[in-house]
Amino acid sequence: MNEHLISSKQMAQFVASGYLRLDEMVPKELSDACLVEMRDHHFGYLNVGASFEDTWPKGTALGDTFRLPQVQGLIHSLVGPDPLYDHHAAHLVKGGQTRGPDMHQDSVIDFRENYFDIQLSFFPVDTPDAMGGTFLVPGTQYRSVRTGEIHIYQHMRGKIWATCPAGTIFVWNTGVWHGARSNHTDQDRYMYKLRLNPTRPQVRNFDTADLDDPEIRQILNTNHGWEGNEHRYELMRRVQMWRFVSGQPDYDQGERFMRRIEYRPQAEGVAAG
Amino acid sequence: MPAVQDILVFFQTTPALTSPAVAWARYEASKGPISDLTEEDEPPYANALAAMRDGWEVLQMSELKHRSAEEGYDLGPLPYQTVLSKFNEMQEEE
Repeated sequence: MNEHLISSKQMAQFVASGYLRLDEMVPKELSDACLVEMRDHHFGYLNVGASFEDTWPKGTALGDTFRLPQVQGLIHSLVGPDPLYDHHAAHLVKGGQTRGPDMHQDSVIDFRENYFDIQLSFFPVDTPDAMGGTFLVPGTQYRSVRTGEIHIYQHMRGKIWATCPAGTIFVWNTGVWHGARSNHTDQDRYMYKLRLNPTRPQVRNFDTADLDDPEIRQILNTNHGWEGNEHRYELMRRVQMWRFVSGQPDYDQGERFMRRIEYRPQAEGVAAG
Repeated sequence: MPAVQDILVFFQTTPALTSPAVAWARYEASKGPISDLTEEDEPPYANALAAMRDGWEVLQMSELKHRSAEEGYDLGPLPYQTVLSKFNEMQEEE
């Protein structure tokens, strides 16, 4: 397991941008077998909130895929040991199917502090630009909105999308704004989504060997292009999450914006007049 | 064909009409609804004022927001928007 954990710098990217892209994570033969299962062997929701390991089917391509050591290491790094199954879905955008504005945030408004669920988006076939892979707006995971009300953001600076080879997994914080794009090819596009919950605080589950790497400061400071005058508030939210996942409750950086709302001079420290 | 109203919305991180558009949307009655969204890296104008110089009229600009202690650090949707309007000749829907 340990050799498959993500690094501290990758964790910082997840905290700042809300996602990680892992190219060709799943071998080609297994990806092909998963595609067959997605097309022909649908299964409905399992027992929401049950142990993932106990619940997830065994002896199937999709069962094997999410138990690959590299996938298990990724899951462990983000939600820790013994995650819970939340839901899954095989997403299909048929060849020639177009999409209008589709930006949304999944699920309900979630104000839980020091907590996040993950979604793994697995692309079993090559997904070129014309096929229209899922789009994400990195860094939006701390902005709670009501599901589809953000359709109104038809275009947004910083938007990325999954143009990727078969076997690629995007793992993302469920708060990230995202949507589907038009498929301008004659091939159907499949993406398999699996959502997982942690069972304990998500602290230092990743490889901490590079926890003091100075590049982490820059990664947390990433400007995705849309933040503008809001960047300071985004950075504060990222610092709060980084404090939690890295087990460094006093972490701050730069102008130390967190200090400006936490510093409270004590009465006994004031010299008597 | 009659002229009908097109709407262009700029979403910004400050309310000024010179604030850069960081997200944008078109509701163009002259063309109908968007059934196949084409990606755009840049807004059609850098900001609302540049659009006004091309004949767009401002229907709404944003007010400054009061921030209470409880909600001072809430994030949520993008905070400001400018709604622009222009009348264009109706086209056949694609």
